[in-house]
Amino acid sequence: MQLKVWGCRGSIPAPGPETTRYGGNTSCVELTLSDSSKLILDAGTGIRNLGLSLDRGAILEQPIHVLLTHLHLDHIQGFMFFAPLFTPGAEIVIWGPASPQGPLCDRLGRYISAPLAPVEVRELPSTLTFREADALEWQIGPARIRAAPVNHRGPTLGYRIEDGDVSVAYIPDHEPGLGARLCEQDDEWISGFELARDASLLIHDCQYTDDEYVAHVGWGHCPVSDALGFARRTDPGSVLLFHHDPLHSDEFLDALRDDVIERWCELGGRPEQIELARETRELTVVGARAEASR
Amino acid sequence: MSVQKPLELILARNLLASLTTPGLLVSDGGELLFYNEAAGALLGRSFEETAEMSAVDWTSAFGPFREDGAAMSYEEIPATVALRRNRPFHGRFEIRAARGEHREVAASAIPIVGQRGSSGAIVIFWPVEDAGDR
Repeated sequence: MQLKVWGCRGSIPAPGPETTRYGGNTSCVELTLSDSSKLILDAGTGIRNLGLSLDRGAILEQPIHVLLTHLHLDHIQGFMFFAPLFTPGAEIVIWGPASPQGPLCDRLGRYISAPLAPVEVRELPSTLTFREADALEWQIGPARIRAAPVNHRGPTLGYRIEDGDVSVAYIPDHEPGLGARLCEQDDEWISGFELARDASLLIHDCQYTDDEYVAHVGWGHCPVSDALGFARRTDPGSVLLFHHDPLHSDEFLDALRDDVIERWCELGGRPEQIELARETRELTVVGARAEASR
Repeated sequence: MSVQKPLELILARNLLASLTTPGLLVSDGGELLFYNEAAGALLGRSFEETAEMSAVDWTSAFGPFREDGAAMSYEEIPATVALRRNRPFHGRFEIRAARGEHREVAASAIPIVGQRGSSGAIVIFWPVEDAGDR
């Protein structure tokens, strides 16, 4: 499975000279499966560049599946600028969490409608299908997809994508340690555990330092200690820490990376297993290990 | 490993663990999944001592009890009847602590219903200390 990070920033896009290396686009990850079909994880602003990279053939030859973890703006904001949306004949299937507020189409339509947008969903020349994915397993091409609710503010899903013996767990917004110390919980009492357990690659929220988290308890995001603790408990082959805080500059994240690697090794992990996500990062996820392409 | 608990039960357990009001968490089938330290103090046994218990075991151990002194089965408990209909319940019960002493408690039971339907219930309870509580 090939993976490319198109956006790994959390909360709000953070462009600028201080964030050029890790990037300022919000959450979007592209997976290329074993049959060359694609899955898109989240539609943050990074999806705009992803859409521009797709050739017309790729857009038209088969449906494009977009798996939304939730509908916070940083995970859907790029959707209206996703080129296939405006390509006649394109089919786009949008998966997302169910909610008592209404169907996924209506909830997403609150963004793709006046006054927030100049177009309505019904005006788009592509064909959009909306599917609610809570607690479901289903097949997309060669991949088996599993969705499950995870602890974040509002209805939020994590996804596990399995293609052969390769698996990617995607939990970009997650606060597994809210109200409980992870080290004191049995596995079945940890949000997201089953999704991430033994995955080839875990992509997980790591928005805050431990010091920053004190003022952000309950905001739905993860401090470094819980991100590392969750990863050690679930034992993936590799870990990609994600959803960087918009205030974290490249220099800050470089220092954080060094701290993360040191702490990860102290927990028994290997330094090559863990990294901080950055835009344009490409990985080949193979079996139990993700290998860096560049 | 047991099957992953639904998110709503995880959050309910973590909430109870943060409260100083006695509380417990039961599954949809009546298993006792958790009770907090305050409940442990009332019952005379910590959750770490008992761990999860079947409906038969915890009702036999702690009650509630009928007027004739026999423990109610889980299905007989008035709160259960309400919870089965996804309704909350408030009432008084007699429970038995670990050393055998009986005491009356007032309890409020709230059904927990997630995306996949009923997951269980959260029960907050406190001792009925004096006539002012009646």
